[in-house]
Amino acid sequence: MRFRRYALLLAVLLTSLFLLTVQTRGGGPTRAADLVALAITPVQSLLANAHRGALSAWLTFTDWKTVRSENMALRADNERLRVQSLQVRETDQENHRLRRLLALRDRMPLATLTGEIIGREAGGWARSLTVNRGRADGVAQQMPVIVSEGLVGRVAQVRSGASIVQLLNDPTSTVGAVVQRTRTPGLVEGEPGGGVRFKFMARDGAGVAPGDLIVTSGLGTLFPKGIPVGRVTAIEDKGSALFHFAVLAPAVDAARVEEVLLLTGQPAQDVAGLFTPDG
Amino acid sequence: MRLSLLLMAFGGSLAQSSVVPSWSVGGVTPDLPFILTALIALRRGPEAGCLVGFAAGLLQDATGGGLLGVQALSRALAGFAMGLLPGRLWVGHPLVQIPGLVLLTVAEGLVRFGLLQLFHFPASIGELLVRVILPQALYNGFLGAACVLAVELAHMLRGRHTWI
Repeated sequence: MRFRRYALLLAVLLTSLFLLTVQTRGGGPTRAADLVALAITPVQSLLANAHRGALSAWLTFTDWKTVRSENMALRADNERLRVQSLQVRETDQENHRLRRLLALRDRMPLATLTGEIIGREAGGWARSLTVNRGRADGVAQQMPVIVSEGLVGRVAQVRSGASIVQLLNDPTSTVGAVVQRTRTPGLVEGEPGGGVRFKFMARDGAGVAPGDLIVTSGLGTLFPKGIPVGRVTAIEDKGSALFHFAVLAPAVDAARVEEVLLLTGQPAQDVAGLFTPDG
Repeated sequence: MRLSLLLMAFGGSLAQSSVVPSWSVGGVTPDLPFILTALIALRRGPEAGCLVGFAAGLLQDATGGGLLGVQALSRALAGFAMGLLPGRLWVGHPLVQIPGLVLLTVAEGLVRFGLLQLFHFPASIGELLVRVILPQALYNGFLGAACVLAVELAHMLRGRHTWI
């Protein structure tokens, strides 16, 4: 047993020394390498191929891991940038609205008060907005509320720190108005369905057409003359009735209003020219 | 059994040239075929250690592009010597195996250096010892410890208890 063990060791040592000797002395390194290559080259080739395969698999795996982590980081970046983009867009829109409101306020020949919408009521029974201006700010009932596009409504209730603005399409809202082009007078009223109609338009004022702008008449003491109320989208001719009725598209989309101007004074002149078509 | 030992040597050499380089720490890579040779020698005795060491060394010589037979000889000697230890030391304990592996790596490095010196290897022993042999010996010790623990864990899971 012991003899076999040392015989094996001796054989291995001799083989190794033979290989080394053949490589360095036995006819020169080239011949030695040729001899060794006969036995080793197939194994080496196999090993090299396996090595390449394993290395390739390993690199693919590490690439996959890198790509995966990069992908996760990029997704997080993308999400963050999207949120930032939304915030920037929001700020930009707010800035745009405020600029238009400020421009209107500067043009208005009367005292105004800016307010921010803090609540909405859009049920069928009442349609209103809550503005963060109240009694302490000098707000009074029936004050007109406008934005750069036109009339929003009027102050219906005043509280200590807020006011309720009745919208044009509230079923109990009535505003005296005229067709700007023909000066045909009538009343703009809200409807339970949320629409707005221009009613009691005398038939002798016919010629009103879809697209006509309806503005406040200035009759009475509530609203200044010339504030855009809406545009005619359809005429309802009741045949033998004394009046025409027109369906209006409100000048102001109350659902999107976020800042308003409360008119605290009454101008004598027509303010229609202060409202540009795009606000 | 012999085939499985040779496959282990082959697999170790294959891993050494493919996966192990990615385990490099500060430019030092462990010598996986050597660790396998040592562990096999401890389990199977000097003959198996000698043969596996020779085969693994020969493959590493062949793939490394150096003189064929240098590592084959040094590893065969190291495997044989490691296989003789169980009769003399309590090599079943990891606290013996790991320093043993470190010392054996150093010894194998010195034998390899001696052989290469015969063929006018240019590097000095001091530089080689500090920069190559000792760092690799320490790495081998740590990796060997991990391998021993893995083998022990596998044995415990199979319901047997032995240190090797």
